Amino acid sequence: MTINIKKDILHPILRMDWLMNVAIVLLLITGIMFVYSSCYIDNELAVRPLYKKQIGWAFIGTLGYFFFSVLDYRRLRKLSWSGYLAALVLLVTVIFIGKEMYGAKRWLMLFGENGIGIQPSEIAKISILILLARKLSMPGENFVSWKPILMILALVGLPIMLIMQQPDLGTSLVLLPMTLMMMFVANVPWKTIGTLALIGITCISIVLGAVLIPEKLGADKVVQAKVLRLVGLKPYHKKRIDVFFNAEQDPLGAGWNKRQSEIAVGSGGLWGKGYLKGTQNILGFLPRSVAPNDFIFSVIAEEMGFIGSTVILLMYTTLIGCAIRTAFVAIDKFGRLLCIGVVAMLFTHVFINIAMTIGFMPITGLPLPLLSYGGSFMVVMMATLGIVQSVFIRSHHSPIIYKQGRLWETTPGS
Amino acid sequence: MSSAEQINHELVRLRVLIVILASVFVALLTIMWRVQVVNSTHYTKRLDRQSIRRVRLPGVRGAVYDRNGVCLAGNNPNYCVAIYIEELRQPGRWANTIDKVEEVIDTISTEFNIKREVTRKNIATHIQRRLPLPFLAWRNISPTIISRIKESDTPMLGVDIYVEPVRTYPQGKAASHITGYVGTFKPAKDIDIPYHYYLPEMEGREGIERSCNDILTGTAGGRLIRVDASGFKHDRKFEKEPVPGTDIQLTIDLRIQALAEMALHGVRGACVIVDPNNGDILAIASSPAFDLSRFTPRIPTKYWKELNDDKRLPLFNRAISGAYAPGSIFKPLVAIASLENKKNKATDEFDCPGYFELGKSRFKCWKSDGHGLIDMRKALEQSCNTYFFHVGQECGHEKIYHMAAAVGLGYKTGVPLGGESAGLLPNDAWKRARYNERWRGGDTCNFSIGQGALSVTPIQIALYTATIANGGTLYHPRLLLDQGSNSHNQHRWTTGKIANQLNWSGLTLETVRGGMFDVINAPTGTGKRALIPGLLMAGKTGTAEYGTRNNRKKNTWMILFAPYTKPKYAIAMIVEDGISGGLTVAPRLKRLMIGIQQLKNNEETG
Repeated sequence: MTINIKKDILHPILRMDWLMNVAIVLLLITGIMFVYSSCYIDNELAVRPLYKKQIGWAFIGTLGYFFFSVLDYRRLRKLSWSGYLAALVLLVTVIFIGKEMYGAKRWLMLFGENGIGIQPSEIAKISILILLARKLSMPGENFVSWKPILMILALVGLPIMLIMQQPDLGTSLVLLPMTLMMMFVANVPWKTIGTLALIGITCISIVLGAVLIPEKLGADKVVQAKVLRLVGLKPYHKKRIDVFFNAEQDPLGAGWNKRQSEIAVGSGGLWGKGYLKGTQNILGFLPRSVAPNDFIFSVIAEEMGFIGSTVILLMYTTLIGCAIRTAFVAIDKFGRLLCIGVVAMLFTHVFINIAMTIGFMPITGLPLPLLSYGGSFMVVMMATLGIVQSVFIRSHHSPIIYKQGRLWETTPGS
Repeated sequence: MSSAEQINHELVRLRVLIVILASVFVALLTIMWRVQVVNSTHYTKRLDRQSIRRVRLPGVRGAVYDRNGVCLAGNNPNYCVAIYIEELRQPGRWANTIDKVEEVIDTISTEFNIKREVTRKNIATHIQRRLPLPFLAWRNISPTIISRIKESDTPMLGVDIYVEPVRTYPQGKAASHITGYVGTFKPAKDIDIPYHYYLPEMEGREGIERSCNDILTGTAGGRLIRVDASGFKHDRKFEKEPVPGTDIQLTIDLRIQALAEMALHGVRGACVIVDPNNGDILAIASSPAFDLSRFTPRIPTKYWKELNDDKRLPLFNRAISGAYAPGSIFKPLVAIASLENKKNKATDEFDCPGYFELGKSRFKCWKSDGHGLIDMRKALEQSCNTYFFHVGQECGHEKIYHMAAAVGLGYKTGVPLGGESAGLLPNDAWKRARYNERWRGGDTCNFSIGQGALSVTPIQIALYTATIANGGTLYHPRLLLDQGSNSHNQHRWTTGKIANQLNWSGLTLETVRGGMFDVINAPTGTGKRALIPGLLMAGKTGTAEYGTRNNRKKNTWMILFAPYTKPKYAIAMIVEDGISGGLTVAPRLKRLMIGIQQLKNNEETG
């Protein structure tokens, strides 16, 4: 198979969704600006040029973005199983030889102990997305029976279980809504969706109940710990949930981030304090280890105010809107579901992260797509957005030759 | 359902999804509006209240005491005056702020009459590197000045006082090798430290400070200190009290320790004193020592360099890290090995013409005209080499080797002080590995009088002496007597732990102890210079040669236990480059024992 530069690369690029490109570029630039803002005054001289690393990651991400845009997404169907298995292998590997940071084993170190760290859970996100889209778009499957549904749940459940071992609650929290939303659009019967949602709500109630009720009833520490173990929670989970409901009880420990983030966002006001002038961040009330990644939104909200936060939300709305539009014009169910998966991923990250920074949800440690500092997540997010572009390029929106999928589509014998 | 219908359904679902997602985002925007615009003043107020400093306070390090409660390592408060430069921030260039900081420092300096300790350059560097941290303008201010500053009416914005505990060693040079010292603990890089001011803790670097670091270190706490415009009157909003570390009591008796150090005054050497009834270590002296009082608040670079460059190695703990040939103090063990294995009888007599012939080689006795025909007890008293060459040959190296291993030679004793040496207990396998040669009869001859490759540490020898003194019980050395007398979880070890129970026969013990008794008490004994009238003691001298053929040097030893009938002290002492055990060490041990005797007398009368 030969690649014709003009036909196979240039033409697809010209037919990209340019509104989406603009939204992505704006978000990337904003991200780099505020990673700089959150780190430029850090005590550790080594941390100050973190924004330069972020530029590097954005560049690598852009390469991935274009690669997946140009690549016909229908080829991904064949790769879905191998991608999924590779992700599983990585997830198991990280349990054994992962590097521990802040109490979680999430990173696989490449090029030595201080080299580049990759997060297998991020890779799991994209491979689950592709496999789910394939499973849910099997021709002739109407999901009336429970068998295929259970199969899908098992396929999602296995990596979630592995990710919980790290432990990483946040990533698991993203995969569940993604599955549910993709099932929803894939025409899984209302009854099934409703049942699953009900089970989900029950699980959350059990978890919250296990954390809160024994203490309310006055059970001693041993019993409390026992109940937690029964439900499969780690003590730090309990701590975070506790902090959400009563931040003042440990202002020095777990409550600190939540409290400081709330103050940062709230004190931003309508117009903010101005770029590089957020005192919460400069004075180090917002811990510098989390400001550039999980709490980047607090930095933005403090410095740019409600107006700035709204602009950020609008950028994400545009991005999500573009992906939904692509879902409408996609020529097949596989493409449509890929887009919905990306929509779900973006939406859940944005919602959970912002809700957590303004004190509306427990701290779960989810980054903001394209804004937060972080390599693996940046590259994976850009790649999934590239998949959406690939669907767009080959949609009803484009000239006929793309719809028929001649480009890069291997025909028998070729 | 047709394909077109299917797609239509999907698109309907998609529209439903849009409505759900849009409404969630609108809800999010509404909450953001409420937090950032409607309630903004509430948060801004909370922010203003945040002239709060988050300070990490390490737990005070536990103290170290001797067995009578005398302090070996403790803590003293060290007062510092700190300036928060951010609160003095002036508009415009940083130079303006530096001027302001200098002004504040000068005001304090004149008002309280304390000499300025920092330069303009220090301030500039601090602003560049560690702006959010307080700038320490004075360290180690006297408490009287501190109270004057605290009572002062002048409001001083951005100024605060810190108290940091500083490790002190009230005993100076005494027991310095046991106590050890501390250094600043450098926290691991990736530990999340959301503190404005991180007061580091100390970490043990040597001695007990190091080996018991986990016990001594407390748990750090945190404080939110509000610094308001009226000066120092800060209120402590929330506190997580630091938990002090656990105190430790050692088995060391500092009075005996001091006597042992005195006995070694002016020479290089070591002395270990053990209670033979339970393995308690009463003293571990190594000479020369270093002065711990000069180690606080931090070691002056000059003194540190001096200690490291000193050829006499004052930082080296000879008592546990020094491995020396034992010489004749090994002979009682050879006697025990032979008697216990029934290879010789106490009554066996050998003739000493002044040498011993093995094949073509001739091994010399220290007395060149010979001891004549003597038995074992006499041979111990006289330290006759020839006799023990005979015993060694008849008993065989392996039997002696196993007995030596049974009393712990060649193994670390496990005393909780770092850098312990295991010494070396050579045998055939060792010689093959080291020199690719088999063990020969000549090696056994050297081995039988404690020479050759054999090397031991003073603490091993003290425990071996204690084993002879108590009749065959080898104890693990016990250095920690008590822990946590200052807290709830007190832990006290009541009895010494037995390492090995050697069932030596009464006859063996009688012969060996008898010989050792004669060493001191017979008019011809090699250790007669240790004799103290009215105190029955037993011992053995040793003189171990080392160095090149042209430059022979002698390490001189003596072991001793007392009182003879009911031993309470087992002592091993070595003096490097002495004349002989009897001449160099015996008088020192005599002085030491007289001192201990006086201590006991004082205790009984007063």
